[in-house]
Amino acid sequence: MAQAGILAEALIGHSGRPQGRPHHLGKVMSETRLAVNAVSVEFTGLRALDHVSLSLATGEVVGLIGPNGSGKTTLINAITGQVKLASGTITAGSTTLSGLSPREVALAGVSRSFQIVRLFNTMTVFENVEAAALAKGASRTIAAQRTQNLLDELGLAAKADELGENLSYGDKRRVEIARALAAEPLFLLLDEPAAGMNDAETEALLHTLAELPGKRGLGLLIIDHDMGLIMRLCHRLHVLASGRTIAEGDAAHVRSHPAVIEAYLGKGAAHA
Amino acid sequence: MKHSYVTALILIGVIAAIAIGSQLLGIRLYDRISTNLLISLVLVVGLQTFMGNSGLLSFAHIGFMGLGAYTSAVLTIPSQMKGMALPDLYGFMKVVEISPLLALFAAGALAAVVAAVISYPLMRLSDAASVITSFALLVVLYTVMNNWSAFTNGPRTLFGLPKTTDMPVAAIVASIVVVVALVFKESRTGKLLRASREDEVAAAALGADIPQLRWRAFILAAFIAGIGGALWGHFITSFAPKAFYLKETFLIITMLVIGGANTVTGAVAGTILITFAYEALRGTEGALNATSFGAGQVVGLTEIVLALAMIAVMIVRPGGLFPNREIGHILTRTRRKKEIVA
Repeated sequence: MAQAGILAEALIGHSGRPQGRPHHLGKVMSETRLAVNAVSVEFTGLRALDHVSLSLATGEVVGLIGPNGSGKTTLINAITGQVKLASGTITAGSTTLSGLSPREVALAGVSRSFQIVRLFNTMTVFENVEAAALAKGASRTIAAQRTQNLLDELGLAAKADELGENLSYGDKRRVEIARALAAEPLFLLLDEPAAGMNDAETEALLHTLAELPGKRGLGLLIIDHDMGLIMRLCHRLHVLASGRTIAEGDAAHVRSHPAVIEAYLGKGAAHA
Repeated sequence: MKHSYVTALILIGVIAAIAIGSQLLGIRLYDRISTNLLISLVLVVGLQTFMGNSGLLSFAHIGFMGLGAYTSAVLTIPSQMKGMALPDLYGFMKVVEISPLLALFAAGALAAVVAAVISYPLMRLSDAASVITSFALLVVLYTVMNNWSAFTNGPRTLFGLPKTTDMPVAAIVASIVVVVALVFKESRTGKLLRASREDEVAAAALGADIPQLRWRAFILAAFIAGIGGALWGHFITSFAPKAFYLKETFLIITMLVIGGANTVTGAVAGTILITFAYEALRGTEGALNATSFGAGQVVGLTEIVLALAMIAVMIVRPGGLFPNREIGHILTRTRRKKEIVA
């Protein structure tokens, strides 16, 4: 019910255009598209995703929302090769991602963060971020430079020498985002980046994330339960429930969609 | 980066202090113990390059040490002695006699090649499966050494190696190995391998080729083990395959784990600590037996105490004495912190 409350608040509280519209979209040199086509995933009889299709262009922010267990994380896992597809295809530009290993997907330009933070605990913050650049094949000098820039940008420079395990929860989240960015991805998939952050941290994160598509020309897919964050950040929303797409479109459209209201607030709420 | 230089300087300083200190004392027993310590250091630091960076326990290390020792033996035993020392040796090898320095590299190279060929498929394994296969690898290497009479003289003692390893040689090789291990740890492969040690899923999601990274570290570790074996062979000058088996494996793993497998500093500290503990315990054991105190002989005190020490460290300080930062890193950090406070 807490979630329904958050959505309800978001429905009333945030109206109008989301911030950071993709005004630059027209001038992105070559727009690449991450396309998920009719993807299904099965876990021993349970259908976690059922013919889900989603598209994400570079320069765009898409929010992936839905109640717990609706298949949001599974969709990210399917894109990044962590779970096998039962059917469907996934492409990024002209590259077919479906069937590739997580490593190959990463090298193809798709980075992710994890719902439960997965830092390299006994390595320093600097090394955590640097590793991502090195894994993508950057030279040692460039990797170090890129890492320093990212730490400055995300306000982590003072913590560069701390070990991953000694950070606060919010810092861990930010290091994970810095790490994903160090790979210079075309597409960034963030699984609940604001979870465990306080209001001030969430606000700062919002500003950082909102700048990414314009500054780095990447496509951002973001899962979060903080509807305020989602509504303000995303250009489009994609709503999942029980592994199926129940609505997609801009915030206003999704907000008034009967299936969405039903999924969050229960049957009958749409007519109330 | 800078702190790696500090670490290298400190560790080489420690090695030099051991070498010069025992030279100054001039007691032959201490000379022997210290040389042994430095050879152990080569082996333990070698093990650290694989085990520390990949996080996978490897039992096979001593097997590659044996391979190196035998390779160097076959290449350096004077040809007039070979008929006696290695009666079954292949004809064409009977005339081979190269300098011990070349043989040292050959020993490392052969161990590395063998490791490269047999370990590639094993590097996909993690956790228990990888531990068990590395143990099986040790058993295979031991069995081969025990039965390949032409090359090893079988289970019998092989003798006649020129005694070319002394304290300065051991100290120089140990210093080089320490630097190599530090460089490897900070290399691209080393950094990504450590990332995979911390979280395999996250490292793969960054694009790290984990089996490939582990393979490189395993080859490097085998190379160093081979060199360590040759070094030891030319120190002890006669040995049998049983010198490269469980007891020695347990000893170097104890050294590494108590010192802290994740750091080269830990490998060095563990080796020094355990060597001294080992010698002190052996002395105590000998003294107890000499006084015929109590009913019978005291047997296995050394092994039992070391095993208990390992268990205690695992409980109190699971990462070992130096769990995640090198000594140079610790020192530069405390200095920086003091400067900030001041």
